[in-house]
Amino acid sequence: MGIIDRITGHLSGKTGAGVANAGSLDEQSVLTALKAVQDPDLHKDIVTLGFVRNLEISGNKVKFEVNLTTPACPVKDKLKRECEEVVLALPGVSQVDVTMTASTRGTLPINTTSPAAAALGQVKNIIAVASGKGGVGKSTTAVNLAWSLAASGSKVGLLDADIYGPSLHLMTNVKEPATASESLVQPPVVNGVKVMSVGMFGNAGKATIMRGPMAAGVIKQFLTQVAWGELDYLVIDYPPGTGDIQLTISQTAPVTGAVIVTTPQEVALIDVRKAINMFQTLKVPVLGVVETMSYFVCDGCEKKHHIFRSGGGSRVAAESGLAFLGEVPMDPALVKASDEGTPFVSGHKDSPVTSAFAAVAGAVAAQVSILHAENQGALQHFSLEWKN
Amino acid sequence: MGKVMEKPVDKPDDNSANIRVQQIEQIDTKTLGITWTDGKKSSLDVVMLRRKCPCAACIDEWTHEPRLKPQDVKDSVRPVKVESVGLYALTIHFNDGHRTGIYTFKYLRDLGPLS
Repeated sequence: MGIIDRITGHLSGKTGAGVANAGSLDEQSVLTALKAVQDPDLHKDIVTLGFVRNLEISGNKVKFEVNLTTPACPVKDKLKRECEEVVLALPGVSQVDVTMTASTRGTLPINTTSPAAAALGQVKNIIAVASGKGGVGKSTTAVNLAWSLAASGSKVGLLDADIYGPSLHLMTNVKEPATASESLVQPPVVNGVKVMSVGMFGNAGKATIMRGPMAAGVIKQFLTQVAWGELDYLVIDYPPGTGDIQLTISQTAPVTGAVIVTTPQEVALIDVRKAINMFQTLKVPVLGVVETMSYFVCDGCEKKHHIFRSGGGSRVAAESGLAFLGEVPMDPALVKASDEGTPFVSGHKDSPVTSAFAAVAGAVAAQVSILHAENQGALQHFSLEWKN
Repeated sequence: MGKVMEKPVDKPDDNSANIRVQQIEQIDTKTLGITWTDGKKSSLDVVMLRRKCPCAACIDEWTHEPRLKPQDVKDSVRPVKVESVGLYALTIHFNDGHRTGIYTFKYLRDLGPLS
């Protein structure tokens, strides 16, 4: 940061180039030029944010690394292009070599002495995927969000916390964990994502009948007795609704932020508002709203059919002051993939549905980064011994 | 019931919704000091905090009337430990054995004057 602190003038790339003495290409003039590149989500330039690393200048070649806050950064390519442009504009530069890297920011508010520390100590962020009502595609979103984040290079885990109606073990074909290290269960890895589901244990056809406190105990076990290891994002698929079990999970899991899933029509939105309200009451930040089943593209006429009306998700996000994280169209192939137990986005690289989920994952990751930038200075967790 | 359930507790545009603890300290033998992320400070008397415990044993869950009487709490009561709960609250273990109260940050900011 020393170099950055010494830069006093906040100049744009072009004028920065003018200020640097012709022929004296140094670190400072490159950094001054790079101050013109803004992160559109964090509203600060990439030098101030500390993204620029390993700057090397040899002759007329400039080489550096831009370390983003998430590999799923939706504006990665744009930032890279801007970096190249402003540095190339400097006199004496003929070649720019920009490497885009990322280290996901975040730590969970867990005391090192708490029983959750062994299980979640190396998990950077927990993302809750929730909905006000059932049947809106919440689990489908959770699965494809997890694999889309993983596709961008993040380390991801997925926990099915829908203890009354678990479905992720079927949607991902995950098998029961075979090995256990010490007292912690090792989560099975499916296509690069660690998966745990309540449905892995016991009889799939048998209903789970549990009272609230028992359900709380089960959730607690999944959070404290699974060796999640090092994860950038742990995605938790919530049970639908806003009842006791949702409260319990939010109080047990140190959730970084919640993603609310809805379909576009008004009756679904009533429950979305309740879900948003529940998380706000619990001080779990709501990252934004995802709309599923937004439209169906007819294979005969290529027309978009808005079966459940249109624009509900973005409307409810706007009225609550939340980010709209994107819309995902209906696709029979998506339903088929879910039924067959293969995460859609890993098997359909060129589908518009895959791009839609990738956009959602990018938006979610961006919101998490924004949250961390805003929360700077707040204590994640504290424990104060009283002295008499 | 329906109307009551849908009434927002924290309006999204309410800035205090995101205010959290920046620093927590023991000011003297009976005063807890909190600096909030908006720069404001609370100084809270620990005996008052014990008497205002929001747990279901101290406040009736249905009528919201206090079940704990001020005289039930001795002036000599002190915390043993103050710990965070999630991202929204803290809990206090008192030396009279009571430790079930979850004090939300909003509740704490409303309990005493902010400076």
